[in-house]
Amino acid sequence: MNRLDALRGTTPPKPHDARAIAALAANPGCARRALLDGAGIDKDATARHLGFPAPFGQSPFAITRGNAFEALVKADGCAELLRMLREVLELPVAEVAYHDVENVGAHLRHTHTRALIDRAARDEHDSGTIYDHPLLGLEIAGHTAYLEPDVVAFQLGGRFHIVEIKSFAVIDGQADPAAVAAAARQAAVYVLALRRMLRELGHDPLRVAHDVVLVCPENFANRPVATLVDVRRQLAVLERQLSRMTGLDRLVEGLPEELTFDLLPGEDGLPTRPAAELADALRRTTARYAPDCLSTCDLCFFCRDEARQEGACDLLGRQVRDELGGVASAEEALGLADGSRAPAEGQEEIARLLRTAERLRRECLA
Amino acid sequence: MSLLTSLARLRALEEGIAQPIATVRHCHLAERPMVLIPLRMSGEAAAPLAALLGTRRDDPRLLVVTQPRNRDLRFAWAADLAAELLPYIGSFLAGTETVERKNSDPYERVLDAPQILVPNQAGIAFIRLLGRSTRFRRAHGPYPVPPTVPLLGRWLTYFGERATHPGSSLMTAVTEELGRHWASGQSGLEDANLAALTAWITTGPSDDAEDPLVWPPAGPATDPGFDAEVLAPAIEAGAAERITEALRGQLEPTWRLMWQAVDLLRELPEGASVEQRWEQDRGSFSAMAQHIAEGAPPQARRDGAVAAASRLARMERAQAAYEVQRAYDDPLVMAEYRLTGEAFAGEVVETEPEHSEGEGRSRKLRPLVVVKTDDPVRLAPGTALGTPQRRAQGAQLVEARDGLVTVKITKGMGRGKTPAPGSVPEVGERVCYTSLTDDFQGSPALPEAEATPWTHGGPPREYAPSDEDALEEWS
Amino acid sequence: MGDRLDDLERRIDELRAGVRRAMRARDTATARGLRADLRAAERAWDALVTGGLDPALPNDARAVPPPGDVRAVFPHDNARAVSPPEGPGRLAIPGEALGGVPVGGAPSSTAAAGGAAGRQPGAGGRRGGGGLRLVTVREQAHQALTLLGVPAQPRLIAAVREAFLGGGLRGAQLTSLRRDEERSFASSPYGRPYYLCAALTDRLSPARGLLAVSTWPQELRMVGPLSPRVHFLTCAVAVAERMAGGHGVDAEPDSGAARLLARMARNIPGGAVLDIGPPDPARVIEAARAELAVHAERDTRDRADLARRAAAQLGDRGRLFGAATLSTIGDRAATGPPAT
Repeated sequence: MNRLDALRGTTPPKPHDARAIAALAANPGCARRALLDGAGIDKDATARHLGFPAPFGQSPFAITRGNAFEALVKADGCAELLRMLREVLELPVAEVAYHDVENVGAHLRHTHTRALIDRAARDEHDSGTIYDHPLLGLEIAGHTAYLEPDVVAFQLGGRFHIVEIKSFAVIDGQADPAAVAAAARQAAVYVLALRRMLRELGHDPLRVAHDVVLVCPENFANRPVATLVDVRRQLAVLERQLSRMTGLDRLVEGLPEELTFDLLPGEDGLPTRPAAELADALRRTTARYAPDCLSTCDLCFFCRDEARQEGACDLLGRQVRDELGGVASAEEALGLADGSRAPAEGQEEIARLLRTAERLRRECLA
Repeated sequence: MSLLTSLARLRALEEGIAQPIATVRHCHLAERPMVLIPLRMSGEAAAPLAALLGTRRDDPRLLVVTQPRNRDLRFAWAADLAAELLPYIGSFLAGTETVERKNSDPYERVLDAPQILVPNQAGIAFIRLLGRSTRFRRAHGPYPVPPTVPLLGRWLTYFGERATHPGSSLMTAVTEELGRHWASGQSGLEDANLAALTAWITTGPSDDAEDPLVWPPAGPATDPGFDAEVLAPAIEAGAAERITEALRGQLEPTWRLMWQAVDLLRELPEGASVEQRWEQDRGSFSAMAQHIAEGAPPQARRDGAVAAASRLARMERAQAAYEVQRAYDDPLVMAEYRLTGEAFAGEVVETEPEHSEGEGRSRKLRPLVVVKTDDPVRLAPGTALGTPQRRAQGAQLVEARDGLVTVKITKGMGRGKTPAPGSVPEVGERVCYTSLTDDFQGSPALPEAEATPWTHGGPPREYAPSDEDALEEWS
Repeated sequence: MGDRLDDLERRIDELRAGVRRAMRARDTATARGLRADLRAAERAWDALVTGGLDPALPNDARAVPPPGDVRAVFPHDNARAVSPPEGPGRLAIPGEALGGVPVGGAPSSTAAAGGAAGRQPGAGGRRGGGGLRLVTVREQAHQALTLLGVPAQPRLIAAVREAFLGGGLRGAQLTSLRRDEERSFASSPYGRPYYLCAALTDRLSPARGLLAVSTWPQELRMVGPLSPRVHFLTCAVAVAERMAGGHGVDAEPDSGAARLLARMARNIPGGAVLDIGPPDPARVIEAARAELAVHAERDTRDRADLARRAAAQLGDRGRLFGAATLSTIGDRAATGPPAT
């Protein structure tokens, strides 16, 4: 059994989805996350068992609305989607062929997607334009993650486009930047997966456009509007992250032989591993907590608690950490500030600043 | 964020309680603020779910859309909101003063203006969207709405836009204001949680603050668990009273926090420049009221090129003025500039009040002051300086060496042969000088809107709301 | 009563907190138990606070009022209405707006019904003020499909009914229809004059979410790669012709028919001049036919090929309801070896 599988132990692996893969790229320096994801560990279940359930959750209203919007975009033979693709990609009128990959049944979807994409890439006569419910694969540290983009569009001239349908609104040409950024990161995962599929099939991977078609409701109506979003930057970050993931061996080597994050699920699937023991095991890996983790990682509360116990400056955000460059803990920084601690080599400048800052604060608050 | 604030955050973390980063209050706080906590339907751009609002802490008014997917109920809700907010806004229009202006006609300015307090930035963004989704509606024709709804939309749009104006207090997010005055031991991201931030300031960090069962989110987003377990079944059952009571339960804890935050801010003495900025707010509010009274159309969907450029320039000037004023008003803010060497403070060790430069008719009084300081001064000789102790005074740095800084006073000491009494600091006095000054370059020369160059789209057409605007769906 | 309400509220708060705590801990069994108690407590509270009116009526059972009538929106002071009963024998009444059917002609329900009548004076299929004609859900769907002439999704079928044939049909009512029809066909083949059946994909499996009519020729019940677009354009022509024929055309611009056509028109090149204003049926027909001409030949050929395959490979039931539902083995046979 390979070491990563041993880390997961008897707990069934948790497949990655695009959102999880995109989040991997959000905190590249975190070895804990890299290991857990690499081993396919269910971080959500782990966090619950540790008593630090993740603070996320999606409202049923948001889910319903998202589904309804996607249905609207795809209704009537993707009539709305075709209108938008004709607008943003200048798709010729003749290109309307629709393939629902899901027609073949779940177990064949990936194979069928490959066959259809291969046929389109060979530019055979009856290649399609819209591939609905495709299933792509992406290798993550030795495991294949299956990914479901909303739609893949193929265009005369040989270009493939990922279509991402999101239900956040674009109002007077503007959308929530955080939502757009998240959509772009997620779409980049699909672009990468499709490019790798093309490469495996012997085609030019760059035939997958780095512009993804983002479809959102416009203003306050349900009417969909499409925008091209360039995801080159997100792709670059993602590829770098995934290449680091393949270097997990190095991270694993530093770990004790017997270390495992197994939840030891009982017959009912509930974890039987003592939580304290699991927490100790996790603490053998180095996390890199940042407040951004609070919106991207299931383990965030566990790691934040750990950072609190260590009094780490990371707790206060990247800005504070950058400002304190090279001073890791609050205790250390405060010691330098009140002069009770001598600066280590390279800390002279920050120590001088901290001392002045401390003097100024005392003076003003006296 | 400055190193000074970072240090305060570290201290807060160490001591388990937030640390002050201001010694005075930098925002206006109305006698009768309108506290407004809006909630949005999850998954929708701007569909209102509820609001709790009022000017008295013991008398909140709850407005609920008991069937959030029903468009007519949304407009009825907006009309209810208008019935609360418009009279409040209108109550400030009666008392005015006439303000004389250089090179321009005098105008009427209200003596006091409304102030809307919302919990957080997301709340302000939601108010702006509510304004956007209601201001183009019409009281006549297809899909008529109550006439107060488009009017409310224009005011909400106005308040939402004004909230982005640095230093304005017409509508502010309480978490932002608290965060400007206290440093907590958590990240800025977590400070957006009103319950968590208030806990840091009053009693110390509390895990309860992040438990939606104890402290429901301060909106506009609701807790997904609440949506799933309480709201969805109640909507499914069509139980209007149950929905109303459940939402009241979600909003009331935040209501208490909002007033607690008001109390915290009120305890701080008001900064010296707050009144001046509030005066600008009153002027801006008066202009908006005038605009509406004259029957001008609702705000356009987007600014034209010239309007956008001048708005940007205005914001930049306001931002610069706000930063300087806060430093002059508050030694703890000034300390940030002392840390970076743009300001210094210390004791006057020597003066030469009758020092002068030039001969004969061009002879000018230029008193010299030597200040002993421990601050790292990084100012070149000749730099123009100002001082919070004597705001009308102008000075220049002559020399800075070995903790002794020589300053030459150039303005604000009178026209006589000897300086006006009190205009030159005495030996032993503590003073502060800074290169930050409050005189700003005038506004950039932008063309009139009618002369917008073609590169910027040419003169914008007068914005006329279309039928489409009025009929737009609202989800 | 106040005390009882207070007690109930306390209990409800406790139960809600308990449910959410249990959910967070993924303790579904506890959550389920608490949830049941919670619902009971909530119902008791509702009953007490509304003074005995029955609030436990399911949501979809309420008459949704026409837009503009705020007073009619909320249940307690309004007529009670029930939705058509579930099951294959569902009944509904044409001409009644938006799903509500008056019970025993309760007088206060006339606000909703009157509003609907006022907005659709010339709606096709609506009977005069006389007795109510009962039409089953399958008959309603059949009428709409006949109007469209091609396989369609429940959503479109419901929209067409609302626009021209009188509303009352919701897309959700059609979801299990195909299965019911297949069961009926299986027990007594061709026992009915028509069946609402599937349209078949290029794998001869039933196309997801499409309904067709068994009496249509096999070619019409096949779905090739171009067919979804051809179906849409054909439906647009049918809807526009119906409007041009005087049905629904004199309705207000926000009538169901005008909205349906406007939505279709803007998705056809040259179908809508401007975004706003009522669509011109003649223009829509012309634009749709122009695009249809681009796809028609190949689509017809594809469907003819598929129809031949269906005739060769499938039995009677399969030809109507598709291969995959016969058995999973049939599915595999049709799709090749399983994935690796």
